[in-house]
Amino acid sequence: MSSIILEARDIRYRYPRGMEAICGISFHIRRKEKIALVGPNGAGKSTLLTMFNGMIRPDSGTLLFDNEPIRYDTASLRMLRKRVGFVLQNPDRQIIAPTVYQDVAFGPTNLGYREDEVKEAVLRALRQVGLEGFGRRPPHQLSGGEKKRVAIAGVLAMDPDVLVFDEPTSGLDPTGSEDIMELLDELNHDGKTIIISTHDVELAYPWADRAILMTGGSILHEDIPEVAFGNLSSVRTAHLSLPTLLELHMELQKRGFSLPGKKPRTVLDMMHCIETLFETTQGPCRHGRITVCNVDQDSRELLLEWLSVHKGICTGAMGTRAKQCAENAGIHLDFTYSVIDKCILKALLGDDSLILTTESMVKRVYLRVDAYGRESGSRIPVLLLAPEQKMVHEKNGSEP
Amino acid sequence: MFEELLEDIAQKNGLREVNTYLKLAAGTGAIILCLLSSSYIAPLVIAVFFAFAILFLARIDVKTYAELFVVPLWFAIMSVAGIILISGGNEIFWHWDILPSFTLSVTRESINEGALVFSRVVGGMSAMIFIAFTTPMTDIFVVLRQCRVPEVVIDLMMIIYRTIFILMDQVIQIYHAQVMRLGYSRWKESIHSFSSLCGAAFIASWDAGDDLIRAMDARCYDGKFALLGENRPVERMPCLAVLVFLTISAIVVIVSGTIPLI
Repeated sequence: MSSIILEARDIRYRYPRGMEAICGISFHIRRKEKIALVGPNGAGKSTLLTMFNGMIRPDSGTLLFDNEPIRYDTASLRMLRKRVGFVLQNPDRQIIAPTVYQDVAFGPTNLGYREDEVKEAVLRALRQVGLEGFGRRPPHQLSGGEKKRVAIAGVLAMDPDVLVFDEPTSGLDPTGSEDIMELLDELNHDGKTIIISTHDVELAYPWADRAILMTGGSILHEDIPEVAFGNLSSVRTAHLSLPTLLELHMELQKRGFSLPGKKPRTVLDMMHCIETLFETTQGPCRHGRITVCNVDQDSRELLLEWLSVHKGICTGAMGTRAKQCAENAGIHLDFTYSVIDKCILKALLGDDSLILTTESMVKRVYLRVDAYGRESGSRIPVLLLAPEQKMVHEKNGSEP
Repeated sequence: MFEELLEDIAQKNGLREVNTYLKLAAGTGAIILCLLSSSYIAPLVIAVFFAFAILFLARIDVKTYAELFVVPLWFAIMSVAGIILISGGNEIFWHWDILPSFTLSVTRESINEGALVFSRVVGGMSAMIFIAFTTPMTDIFVVLRQCRVPEVVIDLMMIIYRTIFILMDQVIQIYHAQVMRLGYSRWKESIHSFSSLCGAAFIASWDAGDDLIRAMDARCYDGKFALLGENRPVERMPCLAVLVFLTISAIVVIVSGTIPLI
């Protein structure tokens, strides 16, 4: 069992001369979890989040970080804030310095890093969020999504264990939101615990490991998203709506269709449900292939050569560096979000696809495709990018 | 808004990569020469140099440059008119005794004086605009720190610089909201709207200040502000150009001596 990093024990908080914002909340968050705090406006999500890095001190109850109660003296708070990074809803309020570099360097400088360490931390953080070369730009010239990334980089530069996001996608266009959610996934993959608050159910549902439904300052329901969002009465009490996929699933069940397996979280899951339901869908006998290109390893020439052979193939990029690489090479991307699922969907239709990704995420493609294969029984070949078709290195295990 | 436009231009102009000290030396050197010159010729020569540099080296389009120049030019024209009318002299071309002890007159000396002041304004303005167009504030912060300006002052300047744009945005939004609801349709209403705009802007900036402190605390603020310490290296060509420019201007100042307009 993974260890607990944050824990709340019956915490309460009342704003000065105001309503009780948090009324007796207890929960725990494990390391490397993706948690979504979901609730309507004024549910106390933001208040709760600001407690995680000691900005607000609960009136009663205990908050534990790494199994130790949070202490509120200056030195302890500094350590806490280094380890729990907080990204505000409005990046304009978070970005304080006149240039991107200075803003990202703010945390490391104040932590007393040496100048070369600061520089290294800043460059690393900017690379992580895909903003290399933006150092000298003033923040007011950036787009909303870029500002958000700067704010995230400013927190990442301190290398925290836990990242807390208040409404990470507010004010962003759909593509921008998807990019940010993908970035959060990537950070989680690098070992960070991620906590977000949102009232966007569709966004939280497929993303989170666990969802915490909040309303009126207390927790309504805390469970894996399928269960938390599947409880119609909680969802209604929390002024939320059912995720479309869950609603569809429920409606099918109400009509007497027996649906196998777990509730669908993605379009892919839903397709699987429907296909098993109707059985008749034969589909093409041959599944399409998914080719994986590791942009850290494979050269751009090889990739472009491969693409010139496979003209018109559907291409997706996973991870900030892979997307940047595609942009630099002028490769048109069909998918930038939930890439693996979309490629599996393509493969089920008999179409081939290509995934550009980074070293650390190559394994994820195999894991996801294998997991899908085990569940559905359809075997989709995953190949690594290779110069010649004959040298193709087939690597789909797990299937007997 | 114009302020934002200026910074945008400064971030992208053709002389962005030139060492900041060189640009500042050219600008401030020219301003000093304008003030030293006792003839109207030298400041005008300097203005022509800068117009060339701004239009062709920094590649700023003529319209933007002209727009920026016209605003202070009006002030200059009005004050010069005042100088010409009020200051006296021996060779009187025209005069009007309004009051027993107060005469408006146009004399040879006053015209020369006016011409000198006017050309100084034009020369100095060109130098200022050159700096504004070619050197972003962020580069000037670096220079200020290297010149040992107290950290507190620089930190404050940086925070102000960052906040101005946010506050400006909010003021524009509030203003638009007022205009949309006909807040400025009559004189009395526009006074009322303007006062509430000021109030709202004050509250917004107060809020922003609170948030700023919180944002800084959340990132372990310990009294330190990072500074992008790099400056572009001094290259030979730009350095030579600045030297040549300042030398020629200085020679013009000396040669033109006290040549009057008339």
